[in-house]
Amino acid sequence: MTQVLFPDTLDQAVALLADHPEARPIAGGATLVAMRNAGLVDSSHLISLDRIAGLRGIERLADGRLRVGAMTRHADTAGSDLLTGSLMVVRKAAGMIANKVVRNMGTMGGSVANADPAADYLPALACADAVLSFLGPEGARDVPILDYVQDWYETALEPGEILTAITLPAPEAAASTYRKIARVSGDYATASCAMALTADGQGLRVAIGACGPGPIRDRDAEAALHGHLHDAGAVAEFAAALVALADPVDDVRGSAEYRLALIPRLITLVLAELNPVMEAA
Amino acid sequence: MAKKALFTLTLNGEDTEVATAPDATLLETLRDGLGVLSPKRGCNQGVCGACTVLIDGLPVRACLTLTARCEGHDLRTMEGMNSDPVMATLQRHMVESGGVQCGFCTSGMLLSARNLLAETPRPSRETVKSALSGNLCRCTGYRTIVDAVCNAAEELTP
Repeated sequence: MTQVLFPDTLDQAVALLADHPEARPIAGGATLVAMRNAGLVDSSHLISLDRIAGLRGIERLADGRLRVGAMTRHADTAGSDLLTGSLMVVRKAAGMIANKVVRNMGTMGGSVANADPAADYLPALACADAVLSFLGPEGARDVPILDYVQDWYETALEPGEILTAITLPAPEAAASTYRKIARVSGDYATASCAMALTADGQGLRVAIGACGPGPIRDRDAEAALHGHLHDAGAVAEFAAALVALADPVDDVRGSAEYRLALIPRLITLVLAELNPVMEAA
Repeated sequence: MAKKALFTLTLNGEDTEVATAPDATLLETLRDGLGVLSPKRGCNQGVCGACTVLIDGLPVRACLTLTARCEGHDLRTMEGMNSDPVMATLQRHMVESGGVQCGFCTSGMLLSARNLLAETPRPSRETVKSALSGNLCRCTGYRTIVDAVCNAAEELTP
């Protein structure tokens, strides 16, 4: 028999999690309730974050950074005018998750905490250099997105901790977007690509999703590519560096080999999409 | 016997008490606890859309929603749409276009379509397809359903 608890504050939620170590925090429920229905989770307590004030919505901080509350729904992120330029990639990713109805339920915190390798936010947040905020019995701490995923479904989020917010750098004048290859509309990605092209048209930030336990990004390769974006050979070399970092699996959405073949194609495709956007701006 | 929890839900405009498992989904509560049968249990995984209901006017999956978090919110199922003229128009066009065959997806389709027309009175065909992309139909091939929604929109907002 699973009890559902509704703490009013984050401190209460952390205390409840300490009292019931086998309990699970629940955000929008889009994944966890589906797992419950399939008989894959059976915990004594679900600790709902639904009634905790201040966890919903996107706010601009005094220094220009944006703070996305963990309970912000995909529909709100997909429609947020605050996500511009270099952060458009996060907005685009939110709008491609599942379908309109599920986007009314699922939250950024829930999706990130679940860390499904084929889900859409992780590559988008990796491209945007997001920082995740956790609260636990030892207090609050921040983890950069690239240090977050440690192995398949294993993350830096410790038992007893709750993901409270995702902080994004102040939006830069850049063109950014998210593209995924999926079997049908609304499916998880077979492979995905989050990309930001700097305003001078010289620099790229790229994160690949669904081709390993976590998003793939290579800052050294990005630095080497700087200023050479119109050199097809340099772009191919860059893509090869990301392919070398990939560790995809064979599954129902595609073979590992197919995923590796998608990576360079996605990079070329998305770059071709962003270049004219930047030139027009 | 497992201990039940008592919930007070605002369902189709009326306060309704129901005793269910504390972690029951809204779909379990509606169908098994209250006998409200328009939301269908298809996949029970949030994929098929047959259980779609409106919470505070927004379509959500009843199978992925915990009943406990629904207290204090406005819940609507097809049973509560009888006096809604927009829904009546959608229903008539669904019948006329042949958008209803076995009927299992129809409640969910109609509620998603109703929400679409509330947000976008004259949607393009592509917008209709996108809005209904979370509702699966195994009979019609979708064309007749998209026709129905487009025709209803045209009639309602000439």
